[in-house]
Amino acid sequence: MSFLANIDRRVFYWILFIALMVPFLNPIGFPIKIAENTRDLYEGITGDSVEPGDVWIINFGYGVSAWSECHPGVTVCAKALLREGAHIILIGPHTDYELTYNHLLETAKEDFDAAEYGVDWVFLGYITGQEAAIAQLASNMRSVYPTDHFGTPLDDIPMMQNVNTWHDVSGVLSSDTGDWGGYFLTMWQEAYGVPMAQIGIAMLGSTGIPRWLAGNYFGMSVGSRGGAELEMLIGEPGDAIIAMDSISVSHLLIVIAVILANVGLLVERGRGS
Amino acid sequence: MTFILMILTFIVMYYYMAINKEEEYHIRTMPAMTAIPEAVGRAAEMGKPVFWTPGIAGPLSDSTQGPQTLAAISILEYVTEECAKAGVELAAYCPLSDAIPLVEETMRTAYLRQGKPEEFNVEQIVFIEGQSAYLSGTLGYFQRARPASNILMGGFYYEAVVIGEAGNTIGAMQIGGTNNTHQMPFLVATCDYMLLAEELFAAGAAISRNRDMLGSIKGEDIMKLLLVALTGVGFLLGAAGITVIADILGW
Amino acid sequence: MSQILKREVVYAITGIVTILMLVEYFFFPESQTWAEMIRTWGIIIYNISLGLGAVRLSMAHSMSVQRRRENWQYSAVLLVALVVMTLTGLAGYFTTGLQTSNVIYNWLFVNVYTPLGATLYPITGFYIFSAAYRAFRARNVDAALMLIAGCFVILSNAPAGEAIWVGFATIGEWFRFTGQVPGMRTFALVGTLGMIAYGFRALLGKERGFYAGGGEE
Repeated sequence: MSFLANIDRRVFYWILFIALMVPFLNPIGFPIKIAENTRDLYEGITGDSVEPGDVWIINFGYGVSAWSECHPGVTVCAKALLREGAHIILIGPHTDYELTYNHLLETAKEDFDAAEYGVDWVFLGYITGQEAAIAQLASNMRSVYPTDHFGTPLDDIPMMQNVNTWHDVSGVLSSDTGDWGGYFLTMWQEAYGVPMAQIGIAMLGSTGIPRWLAGNYFGMSVGSRGGAELEMLIGEPGDAIIAMDSISVSHLLIVIAVILANVGLLVERGRGS
Repeated sequence: MTFILMILTFIVMYYYMAINKEEEYHIRTMPAMTAIPEAVGRAAEMGKPVFWTPGIAGPLSDSTQGPQTLAAISILEYVTEECAKAGVELAAYCPLSDAIPLVEETMRTAYLRQGKPEEFNVEQIVFIEGQSAYLSGTLGYFQRARPASNILMGGFYYEAVVIGEAGNTIGAMQIGGTNNTHQMPFLVATCDYMLLAEELFAAGAAISRNRDMLGSIKGEDIMKLLLVALTGVGFLLGAAGITVIADILGW
Repeated sequence: MSQILKREVVYAITGIVTILMLVEYFFFPESQTWAEMIRTWGIIIYNISLGLGAVRLSMAHSMSVQRRRENWQYSAVLLVALVVMTLTGLAGYFTTGLQTSNVIYNWLFVNVYTPLGATLYPITGFYIFSAAYRAFRARNVDAALMLIAGCFVILSNAPAGEAIWVGFATIGEWFRFTGQVPGMRTFALVGTLGMIAYGFRALLGKERGFYAGGGEE
């Protein structure tokens, strides 16, 4: 039994690879409970929290590799804001930001088709310069983005004509895999009190939850699970809910592997003593 | 209030650095820093290189990640000197374009200080832009060169767990350090020694034993005690319904 | 002269910029005239450093090809890719204002670069799996407690965990929303203090890393 503590990792990789595929072929459909942080996020972008004409910034701080964790949440938030009549500014610091933007137009197709570019949403494009650029965005957007992604001067875009500083923005949603939420936190939320929330990968949960508890974020969506919860809240199942069964399988396998390792360790110790 | 606390921190640190010249300052040993000569020695015995990387999270323009990269470069100077002394090859994989000149200058100066400027080769420093490219380049290097020791210090994103686990696969001794709370658990799980949070920033002072730098750490610790006391008092008052401390701190 | 440039001028620039940024952030948040200018220059310098990186890459790999070092073929591929992407991107930018309007650029980016990059992120899942198998062992009391807490948190994140026993979700959520919060806040606070101290030492010229080995002894 002590071999259980020394199983070749490649065995686990193959088991995990095969086990992850099964739920996609035969969905199980475990029920998903909605966490308070996700509910707060959803309530912060719907109902009385948003007035028609409010301007919100959505930051695509994630690349194609993190689509499964961040994109479902961003899709739901974009849909929710457009349905409330809010205007959305989309920006992105990753090199594949354009792919993410095009993917958003597909995943929220009905809502974007019903809206008008330049009136209901604008895609400003790539942002570089890390925290300095986010700080600059708060004080003078046109110094960071003289034009939108397609080359149209901001003054020629209807929804941007009276939007240039943090004063004109009602809220920020930062979806990221690292620090972009932190940049908005220090340069927008802390500095000027602009409400913000984060749609982060699962790794950012431990950092983001204390911020939500402290009131810095009005809500937080954590990883694919958060995306699935948002999909349930808006009532439109999507990619995140489909992925939850695989996530359940992978988590269970991790726990089983840990139990096996410890059984092996106990047996080894027993032999040793 | 934050500004006042910051200025107070500066004043306290300056006191211990420049004004109070009578006291001797001692800080506790950091196992991760004492393990660096051991790591270099291991590499010398095995005839394998030492690997250093600062992670991709820390461009110098970033206020929270940049200092981690700079602290990692301070440690790189020490690692380079040890490698130069022992005649061990050092590979520095840096994915940050704005840190490359600092890394190059630091290593060149370290070799010069050891009297071996001819042994410094600029090709020891490998620049790979982009997280995925950097990751695959690092994994490839691990498989080819199989470094005996890995020094993973700085701001990391998800590459921490991949590089750390890949290092374990090849049996390398690993010393890690980061201030990113979301990556600390992964480095702790994969590294043999670890610098957590502020230890990364204090490491440079710990190695140098420079009196002024140790004084600043003493000042920092005094401020920490003050903040802990404030937190405790604020908690007790808050439990009694008196929010004066919270109101002052929020001012 | 080079020593003066390396030290005194660097100290002066660092000090002036720091004071301007701090004062405007805390006292004049509405009108950040100097801060805006400094940030604009900071963004420009950061982007110039990207170009510096590209030049450095080109030099290193050109040398490798020229001297036919081991695996020089990969260096040749890199140089060809660098030239092709640069030229096609510039062609797209100068014709329509969008580099992705160039067909070759767009095809290479969408069908080569992006899938290659996206492939590496899932490796994290497998590596976390093997790291958990190797590290989560109850060698002592502390490790056992961490192991148990970790299992509850993992199972609370998985809907299957709640389906097996509702206690997994309850206890796991306690760990996530109450148990780990003081620890994370502590790390955030002390890490920030450490950064403030590091910044202060750098301002006074004591940190060698900041001055590339040229700081004060």
